[in-house]
Formats: sequence, C-alpha cells, structure tokens
Amino acid sequence: MKMLLEFKNVNYFYQTKENEINALDGVNFSIEHESFTSLVGPSGCGKTTILSLTAGLLTPSSGEILLDDKPIEKNDSRIGYMFQRDHLFEWRTIWQNIILGLELQKMKKDPKKLAFAEELLKKYDLYNFKNKKPRQLSGGMRQRVALIRTLVLEPALLLLDEPFSALDFQTRLKVCDDVYEIIKSEKKTALLVTHDISEALSMSDKVIILTKRPASVKTEIKLPFTEASPLAKREDKEFGNYFDMIWRNLT
Amino acid sequence: MKKRTVNYSKARKLYLKRQRNDKILVIFFQIAVIVAFLGIWELLAYTGALDPFFFSSPSRIAVTIVDLAKTGNLFLHIWTSLYETIIGFVLATAIGYILAIILWWSEKVRRVLEPYLIILNSLPKIALGPMIIFWVGSGTGATIVMCILICVIITTISMLNAFISCDNDKILLMKSMHAKKYQILFKLIIPNSLPEFATALKINVGMSWVGTIMGEYLSSRAGLGYLINYGSQILKLDIVMASIVILCILASGMYFLVSPLEKRYKK
Repeated sequence: MKMLLEFKNVNYFYQTKENEINALDGVNFSIEHESFTSLVGPSGCGKTTILSLTAGLLTPSSGEILLDDKPIEKNDSRIGYMFQRDHLFEWRTIWQNIILGLELQKMKKDPKKLAFAEELLKKYDLYNFKNKKPRQLSGGMRQRVALIRTLVLEPALLLLDEPFSALDFQTRLKVCDDVYEIIKSEKKTALLVTHDISEALSMSDKVIILTKRPASVKTEIKLPFTEASPLAKREDKEFGNYFDMIWRNLT
Repeated sequence: MKKRTVNYSKARKLYLKRQRNDKILVIFFQIAVIVAFLGIWELLAYTGALDPFFFSSPSRIAVTIVDLAKTGNLFLHIWTSLYETIIGFVLATAIGYILAIILWWSEKVRRVLEPYLIILNSLPKIALGPMIIFWVGSGTGATIVMCILICVIITTISMLNAFISCDNDKILLMKSMHAKKYQILFKLIIPNSLPEFATALKINVGMSWVGTIMGEYLSSRAGLGYLINYGSQILKLDIVMASIVILCILASGMYFLVSPLEKRYKK
C-alpha cells in the first residue's frame, strides 16, 4: 500500500551553546492514508521534534521525510498543525479566527474556500457562535474552532501536539470524541503526539513507541479496536491489555 | 441599560442594596476628604495659623485664577503647555513604538543596541537641558524635545518587551500557516500587545507632563511651568499654587481620556 508520510532514517541534532544534542537517531516509520497514528515515548524523547520536522519548521540533519512521495518543504502547506493550547486570537471573532489561514495566504476572497469554512462551522455546531469572541466559548468548543481553523486550509496531514493536555479530564474525553469524529468524517490523516497512553489507544489505529533520547522507533503496535468512538474503545475488553503492553515498552 | 422586572430573591436584593450603599459611601467620603482639606486649609490661613503668604489658601487661589484669566494671559499659558504636552506625547509614543518595531524585527540590531538603550534609560534626561537649548533654541521647541526624550526610551523598552513576550507557539502557528514576517507583525504581534500599549499611553501621559514642566523651567516665555517659575521669582506663591491646581486638572483630564483604552483591552 502507498504511504502518505514516510520517515526514512531521519537524524536530527540540536545545537546549543554547550554542545550538540542528538535528538533523533535513525527514525523510520510510515503512515497510511486516512489513518490515525499516535507517537508515544518517554518525556523529552523528541516527539515534538518529529512534528516540527514533519511540518517543515525544522530540517533533518540527515535522512529523508516524504509526504506523498515528495520531500517536505519549509513550512510545508500540505501540513496542518494543532498545538497544546488552542491559541485562538482573542481580538478576533470565531469567524475571523477560522479564516486566519486564508487571510495569510491571500485567499480571503475565494468564495469556494469561504463556503467550505462556513460549511465546517455549520457541520460542527459552531455557526451560531460565528461572531462571538473566543473567551465566550468553552474549552472544548475552542479546541474545535482551532481544529476547523486548521482544516479550512485542507491539509493532507494533520499534526496534533498534545491538543487536549490543557483541558480538564471530563472536557478532554468529550473533545477527544469530537476531534476524532471530525477527523474521520473529513477523511483526514492524523499524527498525534501524546504522553497519555489511554488517549493514544482510544484514538489511533497504530501506536508508535519511541525510545528515550536519542529517539528511534522501539516498536509499532497495530490496534484491532472496531468501536466507533474513542470513548467506546475505552470500554473494550482488550483495552487494558494493550495499555499494559505499551506501558511495558515505555519503561 | 433597561430596568429588568425580574423578581430577585431576598438575599440578592440585600446584596445589591449593600453594593449600592457601599458605592454611595465611598463617593461621599471622597467628596468629604476634599471639602475637609480645603476647609481646614482655608480656616488655618484665615486665622493666621498658616501664613497665607507661604501657603496661600483656597480662596486666594480662586481669586488668583480669576485675575490671571482677566489680565495675565492664563489661557495662553494653558494652551502652550497643553500643546507642548500633546505634541511631545504623540511624537514620543510614535517614535518609541517604531523603534520597538525595528528592534523586534531584527535580533541583530536589538543585541547591538541593547546596552545603549539601558544607558539612555538610566540617564536623567534633565541633564541634557542646556544642550537642548543650544541645539534647538529656547522655547516651545526645547520643551517638546525634552518631553520626547523623557518618554521615548521607556516606550521603546516597554513595547519591545511586550512584542518579545508573545507566545512562541502562536508565532509557530502563524508560520505553520505560511505567514510572512510582516504578517506576523501586523496580525499577531501588534494586536497581541494592545493591552501593553494602553499601559504605555497611560504612563506617557504622566511622563510627558513631567517633560513639559521641566522644559518650561529650563527656558520658556509661556506655559504653566513658566508661570510657576515666574510666580516664585516675584514671590507671589498664589500664582504658583494656582498653576499647580490647573496643572492637576489638565493632567488628570488627559489621564481619564486615555485610561478607558486600557480597560477596553485588558480583559
């Protein structure tokens, strides 16, 4: 099967005043179209570095990163990035936040793109909040707006950098479901970085486990769950077993 | 706001009543303080416990203001100071802001200029007074330059700090959406720093009045600073006190014009 994203023997070195830090040591993995993959690993192992490299915010010291068989460019426009916090701009309305990307790329007047943005808002129950300011929305809604802001640009691959870590536990489960549903119904491919094993298990088709720094891929685990939503997956009999398996691999 | 005809609970009514009473009480005492202050001052001056020659008195200040208005070009002095302050305030804020943008834009320039900013900021600007008079001549020009010197560096420093303190993830977000540097500046850095800008404006109102009065002390033929200086030289301290009262009113007026901005952006 043809892969959407491929890491081929990627190395990365950070330069600091004191010395050179080897963050990634020969990372190899690939991601299928329309799949959901999670990266887990010990904290500080270089998960976020992998996302930054994929987004083209950093360039690998050696090795190759291919998206649709083409190398990643600087600030690659085929990538959408979601951060730990929603980073909605408080001085803009929800609508203005959502079309920020279009504005930056001078597509603010493109009727097709605008119609798409509007459609997304309607589909995910945010249309009535179009003219509200971010502070008037709940944490979960804000995270949904942040996701739509990314989707408006129609990225081939979505990068999620612990996008739920700033939410309280209850909101987190709900938003997890919401985000998962949106990603699936828009037929997007996603790469999630998280330190929360159950989050990785409940959302992904595949979990990639990294070693501690310098990071390389320790093992990949394909998940067999067939339930529709992340919340339902948490109820699966096998959930606990897979949790243990990943936990053992991490320590 | 429309009066709502909702039936509040007893506790709610009591709470609202307490809130209102508290507010009335505070305003009452605020007025009481100024009335008592003026009253005691007037009484002490009237009975001779305070020598009105040195301490003036509210009634003498009022009379002096009326006299100055009739014969002493009071409005010329007010206008001169107001004009110098506003021009100085606007120019200093604009120059300081633009400097901050330049320093934000180029990290190299920032690193080169940083020590000089610190030196200029710690220099008491009044020390430059004599030089200013040689450079731009005495009068309004010198006062405005003094005003600018006092406000500009602090504006640059506080705005630069506001620009730099912008969340790095927000900048990454902009970059991940292909923002160019000028777009990051205009669509993120500047709107994000509006609360700090409002604070800078508020501080600059106070500072530019300091600049104006200092400038007028140094050399001037009109203005409230001139009037204060003149009053003390001819030993008419009533004129000095009257000018200070007017200065108080003007400075707080300007402050109240600017401070709603801060409330608007600080949420």
